[in-house]
Amino acid sequence: MQNLYAGLAEIFEIDASEVGPDTVLANHNWDSLAIVSTIALVDEICGELLDGAALNACVTASDIVALIPQAKAA
Amino acid sequence: MSRHIMVNRSLEVGALDTQPRVEGASATVGTSGRIVAIAHHLPKQVLSNDALAAIYPGWPTDKILDKTGIETRHIAGPDETAVDLAEAAARALFAQGRVGPDDIDYLLFCTQTPDHVLPTSACILQQRLGLRTDIGALDFNLGCSGFVYGLSLAQALIASGQARRVLLLTADTYSKLIHPMDRGVRSLFGDGAAATLIEATETATPALGPFVFGTDGAGAGNLIVPAGGFRQPRTEATGVAHEDASGNLRSAEHLFMNGAAIMTFTLGAVPAAVDQLLTRAGAALEDFDAVVLHQASAFILDRLRAKLAIPEDRFVVALRDRGNTVSSTIPMALEPLVRDGRARRVLLVGFGVGYSWAAAQALLGEP
Repeated sequence: MQNLYAGLAEIFEIDASEVGPDTVLANHNWDSLAIVSTIALVDEICGELLDGAALNACVTASDIVALIPQAKAA
Repeated sequence: MSRHIMVNRSLEVGALDTQPRVEGASATVGTSGRIVAIAHHLPKQVLSNDALAAIYPGWPTDKILDKTGIETRHIAGPDETAVDLAEAAARALFAQGRVGPDDIDYLLFCTQTPDHVLPTSACILQQRLGLRTDIGALDFNLGCSGFVYGLSLAQALIASGQARRVLLLTADTYSKLIHPMDRGVRSLFGDGAAATLIEATETATPALGPFVFGTDGAGAGNLIVPAGGFRQPRTEATGVAHEDASGNLRSAEHLFMNGAAIMTFTLGAVPAAVDQLLTRAGAALEDFDAVVLHQASAFILDRLRAKLAIPEDRFVVALRDRGNTVSSTIPMALEPLVRDGRARRVLLVGFGVGYSWAAAQALLGEP
């Protein structure tokens, strides 16, 4: 998941070391543009297309990670 | 079933064997449409990133360019409509000297911002352009997929012998649908029009097609102007603007775009449509001289190019000075490739509001 965290850091325009499973998304610019970027990021890394509404409900970075197997199973 | 699979399945249904096919084409000569000329028109008024940055806090000029790939958009004047823009684009096409108004025997007009509920804008354009009265003319309401659908209609009219020269006009003034304080869509969309001439040619290999179509009305609410039609007529309440979670303002009479849903749709539907078109054309991506996707935003284009592994030198990007002009982005991007007359095999994909999407192969240049 390091790729995902690095990608999120890029979206949030912060250092990669600042993003981990417990990162609270609301403490960064977790807006509609960030959600769109995250959909593209996860598609690029994992080949899975996440649902925007589910992403919008995520609180921490680990919540995003948890969506990926759900998308795979769906 | 995942969303991705649903999109694919929809594509399968939409791609029934009704289109001319290149694969297995015999030496038999038949009539096909060919794109032979394109012109465009942009309104004079320009909306720059500096102007947007001055309005929206936290949305600086360089970030707008970085996220959208757009530097300026052209905006229609208060009294300037899609019909006006389309008329100017058609006059620019006639000025190229290949054909005049008398040579057109079918007019197709793609717009979502017509002059009136009725009459048909294409009828108004027939009169304003001085086209003959013994021609067919119709509007069709599609957004960013519209140009490819227009090509398929033109090809069907020509291949069936109903027309020899089809004038396909695409024009929209989305700026009139956008709330001034909705930075998401205001940064993306520009007004504009394109005029494309499709002529009959006798050829063993159709110059337009195969086509792949896709439609999924489940996405209707994700790119919509909710009020102003007959389902939800305008009232005092529909004119009241509300702020969304990202701080954008809009009323029910304005354009709403669910960017996340559109991104998910696009990343699923467009690669699937390309795959299916390649199968139907019996070709690989490397066989195409250029790939022209609807110019939605630089971010979407960049992701699609990477996902499809298209080399940069074959991937057309043309939105920096005009933004997303809806159904006119593909013809505007194609225009330089048509004007130089070189023989090219190009792959086109339109996608967006509806959801609606379509892909096509086109052979450019004189046979």
